[in-house]
Amino acid sequence: MTASTSALTTTHAPAEGHVREGGISNVILGMLLFITSEVMFFAGLFAAYFNVRATAPIWPPADFANKLHWLPTAAQPIPVVTIATILLVTSSATCQLGVWGIRNGNRTALVRNIGVTVLLGSIFLLLQAYDYTALYGDGVRLDAGTFGTTYFTLTGFHGAHVLGGVIMLSVVLYRAMAGQFSKEHHDMVEATSIYWHFVDVVWIVLFSTLYIIPNPV
Amino acid sequence: MTALVAAVSLLAGCGSFGPPDPVTIQGRETHWLYYFVMIIAALVFVVVNGLIIFAVVRYKRKPTDTELPPQIHGNNVLEIIWTVIPTIIVVVMFVFSFNTLNSVDAVANTTDIRVRAVAAQFQWSFEYLSADGQKVLFQQLAPEMTIPAGKTVHLSLRSKDVIHAFYVPKFLFKRDVVPGRENVFEFTVDPADAGQTFSGQCAELCGLYHDSMLFTVKALSPADYDAWLAAQIVKANQSPPPAPSAQAGQVELDLTAKDLTFDKAALDAASADKPFTIKFQNNDPGTTHNVAIKDATGQEVFKGEIFNGVDNRIYPIPALKAGTYTYVCSVHAAMTGTLTVH
Amino acid sequence: MATTALTPAGTATKYGLYDWLTTTDHKKIGILYLVNSFVMFFIGGILALVVRVELAQPGLQFIKEATYNQAFTIHASLMIFLFIIPILAGFGNYIVPLQIGAPDMAFPRINAMSFWMLPLAGIMILTGFVTGGAAAAGWTSYAPLSEARYSGVGQDLWIVGVILIGTSSILGSINFLVTIFKMRAPGMTMFRMPIMVWTVLVTSTLVLMATPVLTSGLIMLFIDRNYGGHFFDPASGGNAILWQNVFWFYSHPAVYIMVLPAMGIVSEVLPVFSRKPLFGYKAFVFATAGIGALGFSVWAHHMFTTGAVYLPFFSFMTFLIAIPTGVKMFNWTATLYRGQLIFSTPLLYALGFLTMFLIGGINGAVSAAVPVDFALHDTYWVVAHLHYVLFGGSVFGVFAGVYYWFPKMFGRRLNETLGKIQFVVMFIGFNLTFFPMHVLGLEGMPRRIANYSPEAGWSDLNLLATIGGFTIAASMLPFLWNVFVTMRSGEPAGDDPWEGNTLEWATSSPPPPYNFDRLPEIRSERPVFDARHGLSGGGHG
Repeated sequence: MTASTSALTTTHAPAEGHVREGGISNVILGMLLFITSEVMFFAGLFAAYFNVRATAPIWPPADFANKLHWLPTAAQPIPVVTIATILLVTSSATCQLGVWGIRNGNRTALVRNIGVTVLLGSIFLLLQAYDYTALYGDGVRLDAGTFGTTYFTLTGFHGAHVLGGVIMLSVVLYRAMAGQFSKEHHDMVEATSIYWHFVDVVWIVLFSTLYIIPNPV
Repeated sequence: MTALVAAVSLLAGCGSFGPPDPVTIQGRETHWLYYFVMIIAALVFVVVNGLIIFAVVRYKRKPTDTELPPQIHGNNVLEIIWTVIPTIIVVVMFVFSFNTLNSVDAVANTTDIRVRAVAAQFQWSFEYLSADGQKVLFQQLAPEMTIPAGKTVHLSLRSKDVIHAFYVPKFLFKRDVVPGRENVFEFTVDPADAGQTFSGQCAELCGLYHDSMLFTVKALSPADYDAWLAAQIVKANQSPPPAPSAQAGQVELDLTAKDLTFDKAALDAASADKPFTIKFQNNDPGTTHNVAIKDATGQEVFKGEIFNGVDNRIYPIPALKAGTYTYVCSVHAAMTGTLTVH
Repeated sequence: MATTALTPAGTATKYGLYDWLTTTDHKKIGILYLVNSFVMFFIGGILALVVRVELAQPGLQFIKEATYNQAFTIHASLMIFLFIIPILAGFGNYIVPLQIGAPDMAFPRINAMSFWMLPLAGIMILTGFVTGGAAAAGWTSYAPLSEARYSGVGQDLWIVGVILIGTSSILGSINFLVTIFKMRAPGMTMFRMPIMVWTVLVTSTLVLMATPVLTSGLIMLFIDRNYGGHFFDPASGGNAILWQNVFWFYSHPAVYIMVLPAMGIVSEVLPVFSRKPLFGYKAFVFATAGIGALGFSVWAHHMFTTGAVYLPFFSFMTFLIAIPTGVKMFNWTATLYRGQLIFSTPLLYALGFLTMFLIGGINGAVSAAVPVDFALHDTYWVVAHLHYVLFGGSVFGVFAGVYYWFPKMFGRRLNETLGKIQFVVMFIGFNLTFFPMHVLGLEGMPRRIANYSPEAGWSDLNLLATIGGFTIAASMLPFLWNVFVTMRSGEPAGDDPWEGNTLEWATSSPPPPYNFDRLPEIRSERPVFDARHGLSGGGHG
């Protein structure tokens, strides 16, 4: 009774990874959507920051203005976070080099570049941890007024996302070293790199909001 | 079915499907707007429901319907009609609503009558301010706001803890009381309603005894209000009268308020037709309490001074006939007990 | 009655506990969602009865304020987060892959994980009852009341539970979006997808973009409560209204998350039981998208009385959102016109949806007029409004879906007589409970009060509402009996018991694990209808 003669037969397709001809892969589309949700999550945190800042008489509050930490060097103090920023941006570049590598089938380039990315990401986290201990030592704490609360919440959740990214990159590194990626099949590398770039962009916005806008030195 | 339900519910609704008659000038504007939008809403309800009921009755499948009905997919003209007409209706509703809002929400800030309502868990108190709003002339601890009818009252709202809401149903108005923010609105009670008392209640969940946060608004004629306020200021500046000392043989009852409850649900006074005293201890810091006594008909026969904890008072209770009475805290209606006089 | 010439390769469903616990099959996961959601519905319903029993008469007869405040808080939290949102996701899970001709969802293991987070979250939230008090600050959890100073550990359990639910939702939304965009069968263009799929698409977009904002707010509240944060604490520069803005930015789109898939169900049921196509398919698509987009612009209409919002904008946008909703009402009604209506239980529930949601939409539009809202906000008028749209709307839509798709899911038809009895008792009970609340709100009865004065004059209507509440509860009895009896010995359904239009009816009931042996040609939004009537070509391209 059904139009079985003109039915388009679907073969017994495996449930996962079913891809329409052409177009973006499921995994990469999924990652892009996930990043959209994460952007909205940070949007909520930023909204809180700007809301609280708008009603504060001065910002950052006087006792915190000069405590955003600096590494002493011979010439002049450099803020720790500036170094961290440079490292993170560099790590985005190395990550992308890795992606380009595997798109050309170059497994060595993939492994080396992702390895460097993992390293740079980890150093970022260590610098962030150092910065936190220094700030806490100076009385800039999560419970120290609205500035402390918003500062540590924003940077803390960003750091958590960096950690997540480092873990994902480590898995990519492991799988790359095990030879699991090829020119045709490396969706996870692409998805992870998109996530890593997102983490980097959030940091640039965060860094500008927290450090540059209040302290346009 | 819908018509039946509507009819039953209308009967259950005791007549009018509308808010109470407003007692403020602003309330009257809101009242008008409510009926304006409700009538449009009711018309939409009747028309759309009518169409649905008609379709349901008329197009039931009959045994003779063996062929499919005409497979109509849509009609662009209809889509345009039933997009444009509702757009016009809502725009009109918005315009009228916007105009009324400007009226109701206006704060001219030129009036002399300035009161501040202070909300806390779980009580209202009122501060009467000087004409420039800077000084507190007198603080009313009882949850009763007395204001003049026929004059604009500038009411500011302050919270000591969580968010509350100042709601008087007969004003057709409420405004949130938000900690960290002083909300302000103005209202003018209709001169014709002088002498009346309106009930009010907190309308934003504020914790355990949210349901007990009641207050009243009493409208006096402007002359009576001036006299009343002057008398309150004088009394506030007087030194308090000495506490009555217990007389020999007089019954003295003990009662304590803690955590918004009386420690005893029942009191017993072997003191019929003789005055007696209640030693009342308020152990709730920063919370006002008192003891008031009502007879079996609900008439108040005694109302003790409302005061802040932690403190105590000795209330002189007048001679009461033997019988059963209720004692209650005037600030927290849920705090009650039974007093037996014999 | 159309049956296809399909022979499933093996038994369609296996019933081992291990299988159910570890399944990644969207159909079983969909059923798990339905079962868990109904359990939460019954618990939430009991809490509602606790509220109604106490309110029937003035005075505190049965419980004290502490218990009452927990009862309405957890009632709403369960109904919103653990019943209505997940059950619609459950229907989406079961139906969407079938309706687009896909073998499963895009990420089956994430799909399973999304489900199992829900019972865990439910247990967390309910644990509050035995650890010194469940959350009692309302499902809206306004600060500062929800801060550590005023609320105990139950509030933390609530926060973590809701974060878990939000994560489950977000993962589910990614799954739905990738599935819908990438896994449609050949020939199914976007404008040939069933409206149910469109509503799930728009709903998933709302979930994806709004839920994370709630998560951020919940985390901020958790930090305030447990780590000395100052987000919402006015004494240290924080802002109590910030909580409301962050909360409602999610919770307003949430109400569309709670109703759009139910509208999708109604859009499936009406054409089948009118024996003609849905009127204005493209209008439905644009109206649904319009509601989704506009839904992000109205959140502060929940905050009109705070004195902290730009009133004209939010009032205007709230009025505007009535327009696409009205377009849908007219199109649904036009679907009935010149049809041949079959008054099955699904159709009765769909008609119930139309008439009750209409009331809910109307009393909402009244509140959009800001001065009127100043009078009616936080009163029983709002309780009436929200129940008319969420119960009269969404729950009736859910039951339409249950009766419509039960045969597909379990291979047996629910008894129609019992279904009709349930419908009539529920319809009467529902209106008896919530219609009087319009009057109570107009008369000035605030929400969330355990007790009221006998002099207020609210006693009779409250008693009536309580009788209505028990009537609703009674209507669940024929339903449960129906399910029980049908599962044991119900009449077998066949592939297509209703002469449906969409692809789920092109396979066995229940479908094989991989869904389809063969698909009919897809030339319009009604491929099974076309196949049944030997049509090819035509329809919407």
